[in-house]
Amino acid sequence: MPDDASSMQESNKFRAILWELRIAIALVLICVYLSMATDHFLTTRNLINVLRQVSVNGLLSIGMTFIILTGGIDLSVGSMLAFGGVVTASFVSNAYKDVPSINPFHAICLGLLAGTVLGAVNGLVISKMRVTPFIMTLGMLSIARGMTYIYTNGMPITDLDKTFLQIGQGFFEPWGVRLLPWPVVIFLLAFAIAWVVLYRMKFGRYVYAVGGNARSARISGINVGFIIFMVYAISGFLCALAGVLLTARTSAGLPQAGVSYELDAIAAVVIGGTSMTGGKGPLIGTLLGVILIGVINSGLDQLSVSSYYQQVCKGLIIVGAVMLDYFQSDGER
Amino acid sequence: MRKTALFVAALVFVVSIGFAQAGQKYRIGGATYGLAGEYMKLWATALERHPAVQQGLVDLTIFDGRYDASVQQSQFETMSSQGYDAILFVPIDIEAGAAAVATAHAADVIVVGSNTRVNSDLLTAYIGSNDVVSGYMEAKAVIEKMGGKGNVVIIEGPIGQSAQIERLEGNLKAIAEYPEVNVLERRTANWSRAEALALMENWLTAHPGTIHGVIGQNDEMALGAVQAIKAAGLDVKDFAIAGIDGVSDAITAVKNGEMDLSILQDAVSQAQGAIDIALGYLIDGYEPMSDCWKDYPEMKWNGGKDKTYDVPWTPITKQNADEQWEKRQDLTAR
Repeated sequence: MPDDASSMQESNKFRAILWELRIAIALVLICVYLSMATDHFLTTRNLINVLRQVSVNGLLSIGMTFIILTGGIDLSVGSMLAFGGVVTASFVSNAYKDVPSINPFHAICLGLLAGTVLGAVNGLVISKMRVTPFIMTLGMLSIARGMTYIYTNGMPITDLDKTFLQIGQGFFEPWGVRLLPWPVVIFLLAFAIAWVVLYRMKFGRYVYAVGGNARSARISGINVGFIIFMVYAISGFLCALAGVLLTARTSAGLPQAGVSYELDAIAAVVIGGTSMTGGKGPLIGTLLGVILIGVINSGLDQLSVSSYYQQVCKGLIIVGAVMLDYFQSDGER
Repeated sequence: MRKTALFVAALVFVVSIGFAQAGQKYRIGGATYGLAGEYMKLWATALERHPAVQQGLVDLTIFDGRYDASVQQSQFETMSSQGYDAILFVPIDIEAGAAAVATAHAADVIVVGSNTRVNSDLLTAYIGSNDVVSGYMEAKAVIEKMGGKGNVVIIEGPIGQSAQIERLEGNLKAIAEYPEVNVLERRTANWSRAEALALMENWLTAHPGTIHGVIGQNDEMALGAVQAIKAAGLDVKDFAIAGIDGVSDAITAVKNGEMDLSILQDAVSQAQGAIDIALGYLIDGYEPMSDCWKDYPEMKWNGGKDKTYDVPWTPITKQNADEQWEKRQDLTAR
């Protein structure tokens, strides 16, 4: 009998580990399939391509994870991305005459500032005036997009500084070794910082606490309003950063960039196992979710599957991931 | 009380008669499918620069259709009830605008289609460019640069939109003339540069070294392909690349030798020609004021009563890119 008990414990433990690794396993299975079905999937160059393609959605998803962990939502990410992108573009463009051309680094800082301010407005209104996150960010989706059109007069901002374009098109080459594209480096760096903030700093524990139960968080002395303000400001910052990368990658500040990007960001977070009600979910899951979506998009392109199926596929994965969560929590009960 | 009402009524009557007799000012609405893209923006700017608008003969209002057929429908209802004399209509889609045209027709408002055709007999006239022709021209240019043989990829517009259908027809017509040309891939990137960039990167991975030509059904997507080729560390000059529309960035790319061809769709002529046609119906013996009739002698005015006016396409190549760039600067200056 004791043998049985211990083997049952063993198998439970094994199942628990399998469960923890479910997204990673799904990702590996898809990659194995794609490397058999296509000739060039499993090449360094392609994997780097996929990482570069996901870096924009990756940055948005990191911010989205913070927000969803507090029980909120940010629908305005695509619009803030566009605004941050065109503000930066305007300051490194020789064609945009309303503002001077300045040092690319300063231009990027201005773009990031613009995005952070929009995010901070979201956070301020949500935390101080008790407007629900859905409504406030829905409003911001429209406001920021409109501001982007006003700022650009509806035209793409082109003729951008060559040094600036490096951040989207160049490679990180320490000691002359071509390592990774800049967007990938920036994405991974942002992820690492976010991980430290979330798991090694008090702020991170507060984010989980606020999402878990805002009332008890408040009673235990956490400044809930400040945490909520901060996560939206962080999201605004990361959106603008994504906008800078996209602008440099496409060589133009496009006013219509980022339309409906919020869907992919929310999808990545949900696939990653973060609960929409807040308080629960791993940041690493978001990373895997982001890569999973990118691998599927890129893989279906390479298999010449119609983009219609791509959309159905993504939808099924989102719903499937949430259904899995439901069965799991049902089992726990 | 009654006296006041009577007085007001009389005043309204007198004023409206006064307006009718003054008679020289025509209210015209420019109904765009949406003002978020460069092309419609140029179209709207060209309307504002038409001599008749500048001289005050026409009172012009631009409407932003926000890429939604139902928004355009309600804008048509507004214009019809507010007594507009004519509407210049660029529908979001060939099928979606018929109901809007019917609304205006019922209110005796002249509707001149521009840029995109509407499937309706009630349209007064139409001025635009034949998309099949541009699709044929760009595919032909790409294939000729490839030496008449090799592999091409086609990046398409949103499937089912009239421009996508007709440009594809032209693409395939040109490709059919060359038995040694093979279409490797054909997919939509929804007119978007960012989408085309990712798509082309994935194609370059799937078909390393075997893609020779890129047919972009618009310039934005062709530019996305250019970025993907550069990102893959390849030389853009080894590829034959063409797009359609003649957006500013594409003119620059042609100047720099990154794109081989962009085909200018003349927003100015499509817009200004449409005002002339509308005024031709409103004023007896009207002579067109826009330069477009002089720019394209092959497009005949014919008293302004033709059903269809075909604005020719202008290929932008290295030879005329500088000249086209100057023209564009003038139009986009704020």
